[in-house]
Amino acid sequence: MYSLLPLLTLIVPLLAGTLCLFTCLFRFLEEFSRRTSKILLLTSAALSLVTPLTMIPYCALGEVLETTGLGLRADLSNIAALVSTAILFFLVSIYNMGAERGGRLKPGLYNFFLLLFLCCMFGLLLSYDLFGIFLFVELVIGVSIILVAHNPVKESTEAAFKYLIITAISALFVLIGVLVIYVLTGESNILHLVGDSEKQAILAENPRLLMFVVACFIIGLGADIGLVPFHGWLPDCLPASTIIINGFTAIEPIPLILALYKLVAPLYRIYPSNVILALMLGTGLISIVFGALMAYSQKNFFRMIAYCSIDEYGHSLFALSLISPEARSFLIGQFYLINSTLAKTGLILSLGSVYFNSGDSVMDSLGNLIAKMDKTALSYMVCALSLTGIPPLSGFYAKLLFFGESYRFFYKNENSIIATLIVALLVCISIISFIFLIRSFHKIFLGKSRKNIDVKGDVPILMWLPTIIIATATLILGIRPDLLLRFIGPA
Amino acid sequence: MEILSTVTLVVAAFITALSCFAESTRRAIIFLSIQAIAIGSVTLVRCLIDLIVGLNIEALIHFFIAFAEWFSAAVVVPLILYWGVVKTENAFDTPVIGVRRLAILVASTATLFIVLWIFQPQTSQGEMITLSFCMLMFSFSAFLMVTRRDSLKILVGLNMAENSLYPLLAEIPTMLVPLILALMIFVTAIGTYIVVEAYRDHGSLLVDRWRWLSE
Repeated sequence: MYSLLPLLTLIVPLLAGTLCLFTCLFRFLEEFSRRTSKILLLTSAALSLVTPLTMIPYCALGEVLETTGLGLRADLSNIAALVSTAILFFLVSIYNMGAERGGRLKPGLYNFFLLLFLCCMFGLLLSYDLFGIFLFVELVIGVSIILVAHNPVKESTEAAFKYLIITAISALFVLIGVLVIYVLTGESNILHLVGDSEKQAILAENPRLLMFVVACFIIGLGADIGLVPFHGWLPDCLPASTIIINGFTAIEPIPLILALYKLVAPLYRIYPSNVILALMLGTGLISIVFGALMAYSQKNFFRMIAYCSIDEYGHSLFALSLISPEARSFLIGQFYLINSTLAKTGLILSLGSVYFNSGDSVMDSLGNLIAKMDKTALSYMVCALSLTGIPPLSGFYAKLLFFGESYRFFYKNENSIIATLIVALLVCISIISFIFLIRSFHKIFLGKSRKNIDVKGDVPILMWLPTIIIATATLILGIRPDLLLRFIGPA
Repeated sequence: MEILSTVTLVVAAFITALSCFAESTRRAIIFLSIQAIAIGSVTLVRCLIDLIVGLNIEALIHFFIAFAEWFSAAVVVPLILYWGVVKTENAFDTPVIGVRRLAILVASTATLFIVLWIFQPQTSQGEMITLSFCMLMFSFSAFLMVTRRDSLKILVGLNMAENSLYPLLAEIPTMLVPLILALMIFVTAIGTYIVVEAYRDHGSLLVDRWRWLSE
């Protein structure tokens, strides 16, 4: 069905961002901009949430809302991710009200970049055009880099520069992949490409070039997401960014990982080669193992959560790559991705609150904060347990579905021994995650403080409220996973 | 593949290779500008001839697009980087692996490319030459990025890598070219802004002087 709602989803945050930008362009508006910037961001985030919400009833009925010509489309394949992204952005905007202390960017410019970031994430989820995806990937990365550099400390510039170089090169790989497909087929819309047998035949006749394109997409988007071995920037960017930017960028993997799936899955359907699966599953598995093992040995909690994120991105990619004709992997992968992002955002915001109050991110220096930061401790604990798959939290259901699908996939394609080994490895990784997250909780909130850190009380309500909401959401989704699952369907 | 285009690509690849040995940031930026001029000039001249011969709106649009591509790569981006030099300093550094080793690396890559191209089937030699030259220039740009400590030279390398893909951009819908160009300028502007801020924080353009991360 032709609809302007997908286009409107992009226009609302972009327009709101442009208005925020105007407030910092004129000197007489500077004071107004400084005073109202936080409330402006929150209002804009709330407005940006409205359009995805209005699309839910249509998509739930199985309708496809399409802005033809621009390659924008909302349906069951992306509505859950779209709404989750908007809600998480809104929650982090509430957190921003209490935590933002200013930085290198003027308030109006800061809001503009944040809303542009949201617009690009929406664009990545809605766009089915190859060039559209490339443009949104490049833009989302560019904006993230600026936001990392916003932190007025020495560390941020080096981390931002490293991030820029790795991701700018990777964006060129995405461009190469897109150009090769376009030059071969003359088509840039993924859905048209999948629906046209002549164009499919052209791609299937060039399997080496197709593999090259898949490799380009995995390298390109893998680096942007932070998958191993292209993850170099991620453990440096988290400690170097402000705690709020960490919250906003925690949402970024939802659109980026789904964009990678959106680019690679059609190519696999055109030329179902095991090499494509091996590339995707291999990248996912390496990220899982590397992320979990590296997170285990970290002393700085931001670096720990960065490696933990790599582990979770690996899980999501692995789940999405278990491609089967029934398209169950897409449903399970997306469910896992949304759940892990939810829990991870809760963890990052809780740790941000700890950093906000104590000014320290080294776990050994902290301790005994539970008495003074009880709400933050509670949300951290719930999100950590959800991330490791403890019932009755949402992570449990996500992991259960994921392990089941992994076993089914490898049993069907290999044999029962490999399937059992893979599931055993995944369970072991979950145990490792459980250990380092519980240990971090113990060190930060229960253990004895080695330094004399003066923490007067918990963070302001605007900072602990979003984390408590996220923790509650993981609990509700754990008891009623169907609330989310019913809005996820195949493309 | 016209002989003129091939010659231009050879010249552009040679300039990209030379830029790997540029000592000062300014010289590296000049090489970037010359590389972009070389890559874009053939398309620009071809569009100009089409415009003069055809005198139609389509030819005019193509000419403007080609000019925008050429102008942004050869003038706007180098000027943004030059602004970075003005705000910081004109740093002098040599490749971290040494000039001789880098020369061997560049020469062997070029030789490997020629050998691979010669052993291609005759039929696909013509088709593959643009992509091959793009890949060769991309490799040289990567050498510039990985062998330098000067952050602005690393950015020059990044832009050279982007320029090396321009011959492939000729195939995409004309409407998208300005968007892609704007995005590339945006990325360069962000990069230069970060370098200027880093220079203010650390007092140096050399990335190894910024190393708090390895401490």
